[in-house]
Amino acid sequence: MAKQTENNIKLGVFVLVGLLAMMLAFYLIGNNSSMFKSSFILKSRFNNLDGLKEGNNVLFSGMQSGTVKSITIINDTTIEVAMLIDTKIQAFIHSTALAAIGTEGLMGNKVVNIQPAKQIGVAVKDGDFLAPKRFTSMDQMMETLSKTNSNVATISEALKTSVLKLDTSEVLNLLNDKEIGISIKSSLKNINAASNNASNMTATLDMVARQIKQGKGAAGLLLTDTAFEGNLKTSMLKIKAAADNVNKASVQLNSMTANINHDIADGKGPLHAVLRDTAISQKINASITNLQKGSEGFTQIVEALKHNFLVRGYFRRQGKTQKKDSLNKLSSN
Amino acid sequence: MALIEDIRDFLDETGSITKFTGNFFTNGLKPRFEVKELLAQCYSIGYKSLPLIGLTNFIMGLVLTMQLRPSLLKYGVESQLPVMVGIAIVREIGPVIAALIFAGKIASSIGAELGSMKVTEQIDAMEVSGTNPYKYLVATRVLATTLMLPILTILGDAISLIGAYIGVNINSVTSLNLFFAQVFQSLTFSDLLPAIIKTFFFGFAVGMVGCYKGFNSIKGTRGVGISANSAVVLSSVIIFFIDLLAVQFTNVFGLN
Repeated sequence: MAKQTENNIKLGVFVLVGLLAMMLAFYLIGNNSSMFKSSFILKSRFNNLDGLKEGNNVLFSGMQSGTVKSITIINDTTIEVAMLIDTKIQAFIHSTALAAIGTEGLMGNKVVNIQPAKQIGVAVKDGDFLAPKRFTSMDQMMETLSKTNSNVATISEALKTSVLKLDTSEVLNLLNDKEIGISIKSSLKNINAASNNASNMTATLDMVARQIKQGKGAAGLLLTDTAFEGNLKTSMLKIKAAADNVNKASVQLNSMTANINHDIADGKGPLHAVLRDTAISQKINASITNLQKGSEGFTQIVEALKHNFLVRGYFRRQGKTQKKDSLNKLSSN
Repeated sequence: MALIEDIRDFLDETGSITKFTGNFFTNGLKPRFEVKELLAQCYSIGYKSLPLIGLTNFIMGLVLTMQLRPSLLKYGVESQLPVMVGIAIVREIGPVIAALIFAGKIASSIGAELGSMKVTEQIDAMEVSGTNPYKYLVATRVLATTLMLPILTILGDAISLIGAYIGVNINSVTSLNLFFAQVFQSLTFSDLLPAIIKTFFFGFAVGMVGCYKGFNSIKGTRGVGISANSAVVLSSVIIFFIDLLAVQFTNVFGLN
């Protein structure tokens, strides 16, 4: 009997564990389709569902937040989708959010993506409508791709004709011409020579620069000789001293002229007498007339002396030497 | 002539099984119930089968994962391995493997037990002593198999998923949390419900065939062996037929 009870307990545990496992599995699956969560309804109207089915997932900003509850056709261009959304997310979905139908991965199940909009709205309530967002379906993509394909075909056709034209054009002959090759070759040779020259030039320049560095030549002296620098310095100092002296002299000169001016203005001294006194100027005039007369008399006396036999010989000799000098000058020129 | 004889025998057997099964609903489910015997049978049929079914399902989960991995790798969807294995185990592998092992273990034991009782005329003695042998022997066993197999399947599925988790972790690394999240995210009620409902039928078939074969055992010790053997074979075949029917039904009801 004890064995029987023990067996029954074992059986009980076995059955309970099995039932619990089953319940857990159902719960996990139900959880997935938001069956046991508190939820609210959001609706959106699309003109094309692109294969969306009841039970497909609803993502809010990429987060699993509910499932599609029902799909109702309103008219030929409008289909209403009711979505069961987890209440926890309600506060974060604004009325301005957009609903778009997308795909899990590239080829996976369809999903409804609720995307928050930039404009701020109030939090949604149960039964609110979300504005649909236009989405790019695979078909539309294919359509665009086919357009692109035909464009590529046209472009490649045009490219083909261009290439064919190019093939027969004279530009290609230019490339095949031997003479051009030869002239290019000689040009290259010239360029080579020019570059050699340039190289020599730079070598020379380099040498000059080195010499300057070493203090050779005028420029080198100027730039590198320290003794020269000292000389230059003393010279400059001397020039400065001279300039100072000149300055002093000019100051003295200045005071002198000021004195003279003063004297002249005051009527003192000989200069005043010379420059301002009219009586003295008349006297000077008379003296000069007298001097003129005196000199005229002197000339007469000299002339008379020339004719005198005592001194005539002297004048004659003097005339001869003058002639000789002038002849010498002419012959040297 | 022999062919006609065979067909006759086959139809005769089919009719007999149907009648035997009908008996279960007419007699077997009427009071008074042999509760004690039912519990004892549940213990020996259900509880005692768990280690075997657990082991086979564990290995099956592990092997399935490792076998599927290269193909998924080829398509670059190795990350979908838990999803794929989860669906395969819950929908098909778990219930069918459990039912087949169950058939091998239980149908043979019931067939042999009832067969030897029949051969040793214990069943006749039981009838004489006023106990309904059908109620006492058949109804309890069939009920026990019908109720125990679903539980065994659920537990087997769980063990199988653990095996699959280990299989995934042999070649790459995933956390237990992520693995189970992936498995249950891809599962829906339409995966789990039909799979569990069909195990009731599997269990019922195993019990019924075992009892029928035992109850109708031919005389002699050879008869016991034959009834045990044919019970296993027939119940296994019936399991596959039920499986086929189940998948068609789920298709019809749009649960697939």
